[in-house]
Amino acid sequence: MFCYQCEQTQHIDALAGCHSQKGTCGKDSVTSDLQDILIHAVKGLAQVSHRARALGVTDAAVDDFIHYALFTTLTNVNFNPVRIEQLVRQAVTLRDALAGKAAAGAPLATPPGPASYQPPATQALMLAEAAGFGVRAGMETVGEDVIGLRVLVLYGMKGVAAYYHHATVLGFRHPDIDAEIARILSDLAGDPTDIPGLLALALDAGTLNLKVMELLDAANTGTYGTPEPTVVRMTPRAGKAILVSGHDLGDLARILDLTAGAGILVYTHGELLPANAYPALKAHPHLAGNFGSAWQDQHADFAAFPGPVVLTSNCLIEPQRSYKGRIFTAGPVGWPGVRHIENGDFSPVVQAAQALPGFTQDAPEKTTTIGFARDSVMGVAGAVIDAVKSGAIRRFFLIGGCDGAAPGRNYYTEVAEAAPADTVMLTLGCGKFRINGTDHGDIGGIPRLLDLGQCNDAYSAIKIASALADAFQCGVNDLPLSMMVSWFEQKATAVLLSLLALGIKGIHLGPTLPAFLTPTLLAVLQEKFDLRANGDAAADVARALGQAA
Amino acid sequence: MSEANVTAGFGITIKTRDGQSVAFACGPDERMLDAAGRQDLYPPAQCGQGSCGACLAYVETGEVEREPCSPSALPETERDKGGILLCRCRPLSDVDLRVPYDAASIRFEPEPERTAVIESIETLSPPMRRLVLRLGPGADGGAGVDFEPGQFLELTVPGTGLMRAYSIASTPNWDGRVELLIRLQPGGRFSEWLANTAAPGMELIARGPQGGFMLHDRGLDPRWFVAGGSGLAPVLSMLRRMAEWGDPQPARLFYGTWQREEQVCDAELTELQSQMPALEITRTVAGVDPTWTGAAGSVVDTLAGSLQTLRRHGDPLPDIYVCGSPGMVEAVRAAATAAGLPEDRVFHEQCGAASP
Repeated sequence: MFCYQCEQTQHIDALAGCHSQKGTCGKDSVTSDLQDILIHAVKGLAQVSHRARALGVTDAAVDDFIHYALFTTLTNVNFNPVRIEQLVRQAVTLRDALAGKAAAGAPLATPPGPASYQPPATQALMLAEAAGFGVRAGMETVGEDVIGLRVLVLYGMKGVAAYYHHATVLGFRHPDIDAEIARILSDLAGDPTDIPGLLALALDAGTLNLKVMELLDAANTGTYGTPEPTVVRMTPRAGKAILVSGHDLGDLARILDLTAGAGILVYTHGELLPANAYPALKAHPHLAGNFGSAWQDQHADFAAFPGPVVLTSNCLIEPQRSYKGRIFTAGPVGWPGVRHIENGDFSPVVQAAQALPGFTQDAPEKTTTIGFARDSVMGVAGAVIDAVKSGAIRRFFLIGGCDGAAPGRNYYTEVAEAAPADTVMLTLGCGKFRINGTDHGDIGGIPRLLDLGQCNDAYSAIKIASALADAFQCGVNDLPLSMMVSWFEQKATAVLLSLLALGIKGIHLGPTLPAFLTPTLLAVLQEKFDLRANGDAAADVARALGQAA
Repeated sequence: MSEANVTAGFGITIKTRDGQSVAFACGPDERMLDAAGRQDLYPPAQCGQGSCGACLAYVETGEVEREPCSPSALPETERDKGGILLCRCRPLSDVDLRVPYDAASIRFEPEPERTAVIESIETLSPPMRRLVLRLGPGADGGAGVDFEPGQFLELTVPGTGLMRAYSIASTPNWDGRVELLIRLQPGGRFSEWLANTAAPGMELIARGPQGGFMLHDRGLDPRWFVAGGSGLAPVLSMLRRMAEWGDPQPARLFYGTWQREEQVCDAELTELQSQMPALEITRTVAGVDPTWTGAAGSVVDTLAGSLQTLRRHGDPLPDIYVCGSPGMVEAVRAAATAAGLPEDRVFHEQCGAASP
């Protein structure tokens, strides 16, 4: 196996990346190799889809499959080799069916490369070919910069796929997005070597991601209403209980509907905390609040939770024996030996909740306030703008992205601590859990900590920045705004590409830089976009405030 | 998994199939299984007296002293590969061991015990009983019973301090129901009690689940199951799990007994076939019986023939899950090897006569 798609990839020898029998995330070498083959097969499907579309032939099942299959290969999503092998074979079946359908209208020349892949009959034979499909294949010929750029595009597209999947399961899709996903993946299937062209393709992926995030925002708010400032209970109440983790609002809504009146309390975990701010979700009286913290604490959180746990998307880490029997996966998620809910029927989860003891007593109440999506923030835009003009608000710090176990992520806590009282912090993603346990006060009634939502809500942050820029009649880069992006997996890569595609400069990216960004690529990004690595938190805050060079 | 502190004696390191390692200290006069338990580390084990083979491990480096044990629990072929039984082995130096199961199979606390009330006892054949238990609340207060299909429970022999291990035939559930298929052993303490005294409503103590025999989600290659006699129990649990979860692997069951009347669970196997239409079931009876219309002879011979057919046709070879007598398990492994199947794709559990 070789994988370096996430921030926690191994740096234990000269070759940065997980390349032993098991990755840091827990993905074993078989699953990792099968995921490489799946990416290859999906590229081949995209090649055919792209060409068929030019002939006027499309297939929604193919489009759905592409983003679903890519999503399964995100960090901490699907670890089940059975499922990945199934998807490989399904990709080839769909590809051949689409090619046949397109050929009925006009000849469809089979493009070279992945579109001609045929999986062998057995897994052993498939794995024997895997090295040729890994992300580093061809390195000796094309060099590490080309490989680095290809994977930057690929990983960005994985993030795009994840966001798009969340939108499509709520019934929101757009043919232009389907077409652009197929086009970019088809371009990648051609193993491009032109560095400026690859950089442009990466920014294309970023631009595409903006459209996808806009669609996802419309899907979430169109289905469940606009998030509103909400005080959320962070400690449990007595009663039978279900914990829902991940990002999928639709799965949470189905579980809430299924448990209405059943005497079961439903809690969010990790990145689902922002769900408590959506009017149509919080209208359920048995949505009891949030339990636990960010994904990397799930071993302790899930072990301590006396009911079933549902993983609706990333991040899943190896389940411990103490709770493996009472966790369920849904959608793209999977782990060998863990019960998977394929069809949205969560009744086995309800049955488990009724059999398990639940919480026997109320815990002392603790709360946090969430729900400052763009409408809430822009609703007080006048006050915010006045506060900036008067000097009451000196600067905004957007502390956005993923949390993780690495000690270096304390940087974001330290940024919050170093940020003076006349600054406002905007959070999104599970990185908020490093900050939201503290009362940061307010500035003239404007809370100093404004949580914008999930990492999926990065669109809100972009809209707020754009609106502020309009109000101040300046560009986003001229706003008193510092972006401290905490990346972990590939959705963060997609968001980074979106920010770069918007021309935003001076982003702090950490806690460490992606292993696939070579020194040459990093120099290019620094030159074009002033991309910055994390330094000392206090010094970075001081620099942002103009107090130090 | 973090390594335990090695504080005294020789250092014993266990490397699991998934590449993780755990370590513990073992005195020169101490059996490895006892030493591990003393340090809250519980590898899969069962009888604790060298009879069952559940604590099999392989010495990679180091010197050990083996105590006498049942040849069926540690056959010569395994011994030649460095095989030891942790319950019958003392270290003579630091030792590195390899074990054929994942780290998740090692517990770090004693096996949990729960009360178990007999719901029903059914005679399936002269020597076979179906014992259905309802477990009391678990340590977490929940009613469910959680285990990996293929694992076993130990049950107390009432009125004694003895426990006997039986594979579970049912699947994990949330109401605490456990189904066991028990072959009565002449003179066996639990067998005698079950045949003569046990009745619905009586209470036992159940310890577990335990054991490293379980399904492996490796890929789409076929899964073949081989069951001899009461070895049907864990296999039935595995097949039921596959049916419940809609597992995609093509499955085939080879079920062999000595006599026709020992063939049990007709209704359960028919139900499985209705849930898994592609499930192929081959039933064999070894003894001569002119009224038997199924396959005759050894279930292992039938399996071996089918494996060779696959090989001739170049079809994918299956993962094999086998539970039966030690001799049958060895024969299945030999047949698999002869067909070119790697050793690590044969998962096995031995069953048969326990100590009286």
